[in-house]
Amino acid sequence: MEVFIAQVINGLSLGSVYVLLVTGFNLLLLVALIIHFSYPQVVVLSMYISWTVMNLTGNNIILGILAGILSSIILNMAMAPIFQRVMRNRGQVDINSTLVISMAIGMIVTDILSHGFNRGFPISFSETLAGNQSSLTIGLINISQGQVYTLVVGIIGVSAFFWLLYKTRSGRAFRAIAEDPSGAKQVGIPLLRTGLASYALTGLLGGVTAVLLAVLLGSASPGLGEQVAHKVLAVSIIAGLGNLAGGLVVGLGLGIMEALIQGYVAGSWSNAIAFIILLVVMLIKPRGVFGMKL
Amino acid sequence: MPLPMYYFLAVTAIYILLSWSIYLPYRVMHLHFMSVANMTISGYLGAYAALSWGWPFMLVLVVGIVVGAFVGWITSFAIGDAPTFAVVIVGFTYIYISKTVVENTDALGGTLGLFNIPSIHSDPSTSKLLLLIIVYLFVILMGFLIHRFENSRLGRAASAIFVDHQLAKSFGINVKRTGMFLQTWSSAMGGASGVLYAYLMRNLFPDFFTFHLIGIAMTMLFVGGYATMWGGLLAAPLLWGGPLLFPPEIASWRIVIYGTILVVMLVLKPEGLITRPLVYRIESYFRRRRDRRIPS
Repeated sequence: MEVFIAQVINGLSLGSVYVLLVTGFNLLLLVALIIHFSYPQVVVLSMYISWTVMNLTGNNIILGILAGILSSIILNMAMAPIFQRVMRNRGQVDINSTLVISMAIGMIVTDILSHGFNRGFPISFSETLAGNQSSLTIGLINISQGQVYTLVVGIIGVSAFFWLLYKTRSGRAFRAIAEDPSGAKQVGIPLLRTGLASYALTGLLGGVTAVLLAVLLGSASPGLGEQVAHKVLAVSIIAGLGNLAGGLVVGLGLGIMEALIQGYVAGSWSNAIAFIILLVVMLIKPRGVFGMKL
Repeated sequence: MPLPMYYFLAVTAIYILLSWSIYLPYRVMHLHFMSVANMTISGYLGAYAALSWGWPFMLVLVVGIVVGAFVGWITSFAIGDAPTFAVVIVGFTYIYISKTVVENTDALGGTLGLFNIPSIHSDPSTSKLLLLIIVYLFVILMGFLIHRFENSRLGRAASAIFVDHQLAKSFGINVKRTGMFLQTWSSAMGGASGVLYAYLMRNLFPDFFTFHLIGIAMTMLFVGGYATMWGGLLAAPLLWGGPLLFPPEIASWRIVIYGTILVVMLVLKPEGLITRPLVYRIESYFRRRRDRRIPS
């Protein structure tokens, strides 16, 4: 039972990271109408930038965190013209072409990480940032500081995002564009500015996630982005593309499921089992469990 | 034949097959990456059968194609008419699962890979030449079949689905069955590519069958032109051969180069180098020349 509880806590921390990523991914999908597959890869690039800044500044945590968040916002904003140009070229909104272009960006990012940082070797964050220290131990249950930070910041981050989306004027603009872009334009909502704001907000969520991943995992490798990207897209599809509430449930569910598998099955096979479960769900429900919101 | 030329020709043929295996389902807007997973499954299965059970090459090739087609066909019942992104993620999942299984199975060499896959002839140089001939004959056969498909009723149905899924349905086109057919064909080609690759290289590493391989094949398809089969045929030797001429320091960044070319191409010329109107113009030019030669 203790193993079960410990793994559920692990899973909630991991799941909250997935939820943040899926929320950012869905926001871009709903407002900017792009499938930003490589969004988690950009998040991992921000982790690497954060690591570089910390290395250069003698492990200054504040500067490291700032670098992670700012770089994520800048990188996301910089990609906006590429995506918008691609959609204009096709003469109509074609989200599939944005998926291809995002995959190309993912290829570039992963290869830059493989060659340009730490000679392609995995990076380790300093003990001051990585929350490996134990926060609470009861029998087999060992909760690290990293898990606590991730869970707390994850909950605050997602709550703040939903508050912004459903309780503020900007949030109403986002939702209006997601529901009906031409109708939103007619009532005076600036499409371009709101679209750009969605890129910036997604960048902010990505930056926070980058820091949380650094705290939770304590390390990163060039292949991390690909794996997380795959899971984020899988969660979004299972939840139903663009379904924010569904993403919340399925993201947490995936985190818990992964942690439980890791708790009871040999490490190297746990990923395969998680992928098989995802595959079965996707084959049964290729259009999502909670329904698409596109 | 010099070794670099052998590898250039061998890998180019595999990339042509792989880009066609992505091209076929994309005719109905499906980015079907299961061909890479089938390449892994059939490649490893074939190599294991040849090494452990002494199966001959032709039997391995046929079984590889059948296994690939079977995996694709079974899966296509669920995703034959699924949205593009669902098809994408199912393909990725298959790739991760097959890679993890290979990496954790000692009989398949684990993370180290499988070595010393038998050659098809006792003389190594004859074996290489024979193999290249077989591979290119297979490429020609597939090219011929794809060309026939494009000019068939089914090919026109696929074009209609690509342009407007709903309209195609209302015209009575069976969208799911067309998708299933193309996904199965694509998977069979993936299976064949896996077996041929295993015999050409005589070794297999799980790290080869990853996102990078999809990226390269996708670049070939979209840079060459996703609307005709000629795009992959043109882009495969250019994109694979080009970086081989670069100095090693630059060539090691070839994935960044591919990614950049793909982004630039999608932004500036999304339909790729060889477009369908271009193919029609070339075909009508040759038709006019042929008609002129025939005396009235």
